[in-house]
Order: sequence, then structure tokens, then C-alpha cells
Amino acid sequence: MQSGVWYPRWYWPSFTITGIVWLTVLFVLPAYVVLSVAFGAVDFEHFGQPVPYYAPWWWSFSTFNETLTQFYQGSAIYQAPLIRTFVYVSSASVICLVLGYAVAYFTARCTSKNKGLILVLLVAPLWISYLMRIYAWQGLLDAGGPLNVVLDPFGFGDTDFLSGLHITVILGLVYGYIPFMILPLYASLDRIQESLLEAGRDLGANGRQTFWRVTFPLSRPAILTGIVIVTLPMFGDYYTNDLLGSSKTSMFGNLISAQREFTGGSTRMASLVLILSVIVMVPMMYYLRETRRAAERGA
Amino acid sequence: MRHPKDMNRRQFLTRAGGAALAVPSLGAILAACSKPGETVSGSESPSDIPIATLENPVTLPMNRDPIAADTPPESGPLVLYNWADYIWKKKVNEFAEEWGVDVEITTFNNMEEGIQKVSNGQVEADVFVPTTNYLRRLVKDDLVQPLQKELVPNISSVWPSYSDPGPYYDVGWRYTVPYTIYTWGVAYRRDRVSDDEAASQGWDALWNNENAEAISLYDSYGDTIAVAILRNGSLEVNTGDEALITAAKDAILQTINENKARLTINGVYAKLPAGDFTVAESWSGDIVGAQWYLPKDVEWDVLGYWRPPNGQTMIGNDTLAIPTAAKNPRLAHEFINFFLDEEVGYDNFRYWNGYQPPFSSIDPERLIDDGVVPPNLPMAVVTEDMFKEDLTPYELVPEVDLLWQQAWTEIKAGA
Repeated sequence: MQSGVWYPRWYWPSFTITGIVWLTVLFVLPAYVVLSVAFGAVDFEHFGQPVPYYAPWWWSFSTFNETLTQFYQGSAIYQAPLIRTFVYVSSASVICLVLGYAVAYFTARCTSKNKGLILVLLVAPLWISYLMRIYAWQGLLDAGGPLNVVLDPFGFGDTDFLSGLHITVILGLVYGYIPFMILPLYASLDRIQESLLEAGRDLGANGRQTFWRVTFPLSRPAILTGIVIVTLPMFGDYYTNDLLGSSKTSMFGNLISAQREFTGGSTRMASLVLILSVIVMVPMMYYLRETRRAAERGA
Repeated sequence: MRHPKDMNRRQFLTRAGGAALAVPSLGAILAACSKPGETVSGSESPSDIPIATLENPVTLPMNRDPIAADTPPESGPLVLYNWADYIWKKKVNEFAEEWGVDVEITTFNNMEEGIQKVSNGQVEADVFVPTTNYLRRLVKDDLVQPLQKELVPNISSVWPSYSDPGPYYDVGWRYTVPYTIYTWGVAYRRDRVSDDEAASQGWDALWNNENAEAISLYDSYGDTIAVAILRNGSLEVNTGDEALITAAKDAILQTINENKARLTINGVYAKLPAGDFTVAESWSGDIVGAQWYLPKDVEWDVLGYWRPPNGQTMIGNDTLAIPTAAKNPRLAHEFINFFLDEEVGYDNFRYWNGYQPPFSSIDPERLIDDGVVPPNLPMAVVTEDMFKEDLTPYELVPEVDLLWQQAWTEIKAGA
């Protein structure tokens, strides 16, 4: 394998410089600032502006601890939104997966010339701003709106979908994030070689068995990717609920955004951001572990 | 020597990590930062300027001299930093034409955002529209400049309380002129709630189960908690009493949970005219402006407005001020003077804004005779007496503000 070409020690690592600069400037530094704000003070004489403590030996954990205890102590005012967020995100992710898988499977297996068209149509909604699309949903879901008319025979004629219903917010989340589930699934399903499926059939498996024993296992990494891609932003989502829900369907992101209005709210806001980051790190770690395992298996 | 094929992925990452550490370390940058001062921690406020109240009017210190009266007009563009939809563009354009400059309007969503961007220089505004409870701190930080009174002769338009001696928050109107004045009350649909019913229910209309699913409260903690305090029978709209604040919070949660009341910011002018709401917590300016949002087939007399009797009404006003960093201070003075012109200010109010300027020339009867305020909204008119006697939201001290914030966070968390 030796090519005989000599490279200095720093040659290959140097290729990571762009990535490192990017990560440092756009992730590490901002994350550190958030940390310093959360563990800093507030200057109430100057509009409650945050006074970040950059040096760890000055850090003060009082606001952070106070914020944390609000999750489980006393009236535990942050608990309900946290639980809600978990329920909404998991339901929406499962729905995204089921619907998205079906669509991606159909598109990948669709042999006609329309494949490209289907893909374009899937991506088309993304050309319109999310805000505009959710406003359109507001019109559809409004009391006495089209959805009420359509669902009237089923007894939903008088349901005010915008009055803070769990189902509406979950629907909004599914609608907003499903394209990001479909695309990785499609990319994966499309790459599964026909010959593998044929081999499965040759060996006597019926259609269903081929799917469960060949297609599905091969698409597992994509399922995981899709779930991570939709789950992480959903955890921090607040505008879906702002536009389609009410205070009764507040999510974690709404807790954070509510602090914006408050003088001196930034320290609490940063503390909540930290807590959320730790929470989303759990699925992220699982994903990293799984992909590494898959890579090792593949190797 | 080494070729990447000899290197497994983990080694590669380790090296990449090493390279990352080689980037000038954060510690070095941090060491350069000085230790944060002692005065900033906690909520201790070494305030040299006291918080202004009606009982304790405050004369703000002069941080600097106003600009000279003969300062030549700048070439612009003049930057106005304002709430969205809070000034009539047609009048702004007239000003621009008169002075031969461009006027740029930049907007903020809430006062916190506006203050932050003015104080950190993100927006270099020539004219700013602060609420009165932020003024003390703006002056303290030298973020607004004293007005050159010779350049604002139209101050004669406003009520004497605002010009001589000047309002409690800025005696001698050193830094501000009033822009609009408004009360808090209940807006209602007269086709569903009669005037008599509204008058007898008062604030309780917002808690009435008959209006369930059609009640709007402002999504703004200072406003709605104060209203709930009034509804609970107290007049302490700046209270630091935990029991009153908790009772207000419980009341708000009650109407949200039992009557499905909604927290909105445009409920009065965007949703009530369309019939989505029957009753709504309302600033008087919002309900006057709501007439422009009525659907075609709905008559304007469906709109009603109730506020408590004099002495128990909550009243507030917004101001115009010139930031210290203004690049066009002379033009800014002219702009302020322009909108204090009786005709200009009146037109801005009657044809567009809905928020009343405190002009002496405007009396309640004239407003109704001129058709500015619909005859069905007599209580939306604000008079000078009210400014002297009624309840006013003040700046809350940090400890009290925190209690209000916590109560509101609990409401927003959907307990």
C-alpha cells in the first residue's frame, strides 16, 4: 500500500482546518457564550442585560439551579411543557416515520418516469416559507373553516382546532418536518440493489418477508438518520405551537422564547437552552453509537 | 511516511482534535477579560435616579447640553425606531418631502428588543418610541439626549400636564414629548354583549363563562397581570405583594382553563371585528383602530369598549425621544415637532393609528362629532383629568418584576 510519496505529519490533519474553524466560530464559541451567560449575572441597572462570566472560576450557578429546580420542585412550572414536548416529539416522529417510509418506499420502487416529478413535488413545499404554510393551516383549521366542514359528518364540525389541542400541534410538527424524514429514507431505499430483493425472492421469501428481512434492515441507518434529523429541531421548536396552539400546548421552546419579553430573562433563557442541549444530546449519542457500530459491522 | 490508509478513523479524529486545541486557546482570550464588577451581581440597584410615580415626579438630570438651536438640518436618512403599524406612513412621507430627506422606519416587537438594540448600537435610531417605564434607565445610561426646546414649538399642542410642568416621569419634558395616550379596558361585540351587560360585568366579562372560547387577553405580562389585579378588586397595579400576584395568576389560569381564554397580541383589532372573539382585554387605541378591520358586511357599531370609572382606570402613554447616538438630531427634532402639529397628529390618529395624542384641541365631543371615535365607543376617549388621577403602571423594581415574570412563566407554561 505504500505509495512512496512522503507527507509531513501535519499534512492530513491540516485538511480538517476549515471544519475546525467552522465548528469553533459557529458552534464552540457560541455554546461557550451561552454557558457564560447561564452562569453569569444580570445587570438590573442596565435593562437587565446579561453579564456573562467567561472565566469558569467566576461562574455562579444560582440562576441555573433555580431554573433546574423549577422542573421538579414546588409547583414545578417547567415540568408540564417538558413532558408535553416529549409526547409531541415522539408522536410526531413516529407519524413522520410511518408516513415518510411509505412515501419514500413508493417513490424509490416507482419505476415509471414520474420519479423525478414525485421528488420535486415532495420538495416543492419547502420553496414557500414555513411561516406562510402555517398561516395557510391556520385558515384551514380555523373555527368554521374547511376542515370543520369536511369533518362535520364525523362529529368534528364544532371542534376549534386552534384552541390549543395536542393533536393540532402534533399535526403541525409532522407537516413541518416530514420532508426531512422522507429524503434520507428515499436516498437509502433507492440505493438498495434490486438483485438483493430478487435473491430474497429466489430463496423463497414472499413479498412481506423480503421487506422485513431485506429492505427494512438495509434501511435501518436511514431510519435512524431521519429520526435524528426530525427529532432534534422538534425539541427546540416553538413557532409551530405559537401559531397553531395556545399556552395549554406550550413546549420547551416556548418556555425559552417566553423569557425574551422579560427584563433580565436572558440568564434563565441560557440556562433553559443548556438543559435542552443536554436532553437532546441523549438521542444524538445513541445515534453516534449506532452509526459507529454499523460502520464497524460494515468494515 | 504516513498515509491515511494506515490511519484508522479514530486516530484521524484524535489528530483533528489536537489541531483544534492548537487554535489559540479560549483561556488566553478569557484572561484578557476583566473580572465583572461587584455592582452588577444580584438585584441591588444603586440608583441615583428614583423611580417616577405620580406622587413622586422625577426631574431627570441633564447628561449633556441639547443640540444648538441653529444646528443645520442633516441630509438624512432619518431613522425612526417604532412599534409596527404605529404611525401613518402618509404623514411620514409628507415630512420626508418637506425636508427633502428619506425616512426609514425600523420596527421592534416588544420594548425589551427595542431597548436592547438601541443600547448596544445595533439600531442607530434618530427617533425612538420608548414607554415611560424605561425612561429612567435610558437617561441613566445616557442613551437619550435632552431636547432643544426651541426646536419643538408645537409642544403647545399638548395638555399642560405634559408641557408645564411636564409629566411625572419627565418633569420639564427634558427628554421626551408624549406621542399617544391610552387606557386599559374591555372591548366587546355589541351584537353579543349589550352595553348594560358590559358595564355591569366590567372586567368580569373576561371571566364570564357565557363568553367561553371567545375571550382574548393580551400576551404581555405587565398588561394582563395588572388587569387581573384590577379584576380581583385591588387597585395596586404595581404591587409587589405576592398574595395579590398569585391571586392574579390563578385568575388568569382559571379563565384560560375554564373559559378557554386565549393569549393574543392582535386579538382586539384583527380577531374581534371578525367575530372570533366576543370580549377582549383592550388598549383604547386598539378598539378605535379596530374599525378599520371590520369585514365588509359588519357595521362599525358592533364594537364596544368599557373601562372602569374615573379613578380606577389604568392609563399609560408612549413617548418620542432622540437617542444620544442619533446621526440626524436636528431632523429628529423637526420630526417630533411635525407630529406634535395639531393637524398632523390628529390625522395620524383619526385616519390610521387609533391611538390618541394628548392634544388640548381634541375634546371628547369633537372626536365623536368628527366621527373619529365611533359614538358607540365614548369610553375610548382619554381626557386630561384621567392622566392626573388614574392608575398608572410604573417601572417595577427587579425583585418585584421577578415575581411578575414567574407568575407569567407559569401561565405561559400551560399549568
